Amino acid sequence: MGLSLPSKVLPASPAAGAPGPSEPGVPFSEIETVRAKEFIPPAKEALRDMLARKGTDPLIQPVFNWAGRNSLFPLHWGLACCAIEFAAAFGARWDAERFGIVPRSSPRQCDLMIVNGTVTWKVAHKLITLFEQMPEPKWVIAMGNCATGGGPFRSAYSVVPGVDKLVPVDVYIAGCPPRPEAMLDGILRLEHLIQERRE
Amino acid sequence: MVTAVPQPSPTGSTELLSGLRSRFPEDILAIHPFPGLLGRVEVRPGGILPICRYLRDEQTFGHCAMVGGVDWRETREVVYHLWSDDRKAYLELSLKVLADDPHVESVAGVWQGANWHEREAWDLLGIRFDHHPDLRRLFLPEGYEFHPLLKTFELHEPELLEVKTRHE
Repeated sequence: MGLSLPSKVLPASPAAGAPGPSEPGVPFSEIETVRAKEFIPPAKEALRDMLARKGTDPLIQPVFNWAGRNSLFPLHWGLACCAIEFAAAFGARWDAERFGIVPRSSPRQCDLMIVNGTVTWKVAHKLITLFEQMPEPKWVIAMGNCATGGGPFRSAYSVVPGVDKLVPVDVYIAGCPPRPEAMLDGILRLEHLIQERRE
Repeated sequence: MVTAVPQPSPTGSTELLSGLRSRFPEDILAIHPFPGLLGRVEVRPGGILPICRYLRDEQTFGHCAMVGGVDWRETREVVYHLWSDDRKAYLELSLKVLADDPHVESVAGVWQGANWHEREAWDLLGIRFDHHPDLRRLFLPEGYEFHPLLKTFELHEPELLEVKTRHE
């Protein structure tokens, strides 16, 4: 069932010579009441019908993409000094929550993993486990030089040279550490990627 | 600000060292003076455990501050730094084992704090500690095939370093 709006949802546009807004006509509050009563039931049914479709349906996927990109929940998982910038980005000065980004503490509630810091081989399999515990669809941001390519510890015996050896990375953020603006820019670029996603 | 600098020659060191030498004549190989320490005592690897028990129970060395290792290519040295609260001074024990099969008795049963120090020495220098309660790697994952602080370890190109990260 498609979305079928009742014919009288919108008030008829005033024709030439009809009474303007300043002149007496239908009171504004009454119009709103009529609109809501007639609009909500078919809209509810249409929404239920849309949500029942597959997420990859070409008709519904832009809606899912729009909803997903506006409520990215990153995993709260600090590894090194980049996590300090990550924390600062959620403070009052940069306020990342205005983009709908809310850090969560459980991978089950997250759809974005921001790897902020040096990943050692010791912690590598825990990173993979956390990534696999996140529900689909999910994205990964490598924040900082260490997560991107090992950084200054690239040839060390204990450091993973780039987190893309372990999990698929969508956006790389350069910097040592990147400033909160750079992190927000990376997240906004990821939002563009999500908006253009087609499967 | 510098506080509590150890004195160059802590008092009572001669009695302690002569007592050690007379009690363990077979196991004490050499005693060297060292500024800031009661002394550096070279011991035979087989005699480390009774010496440590004696130092803890009768000479008030209640704290094992460090267990470390040195790679001398042919041999590997294990170094113990012991702290005595009564004497306010450190004593250093050291022993040398052959690099072919480096193993020594664990002192984790004498000082529990030595447990992780010995795991670190096993992890990075490949020195096995016999009868250790839990001799696993400390800093590197299980399945890592090198002991990276050895002189024979060469830095790999990071792409060549294959580490098993999953236990499957």
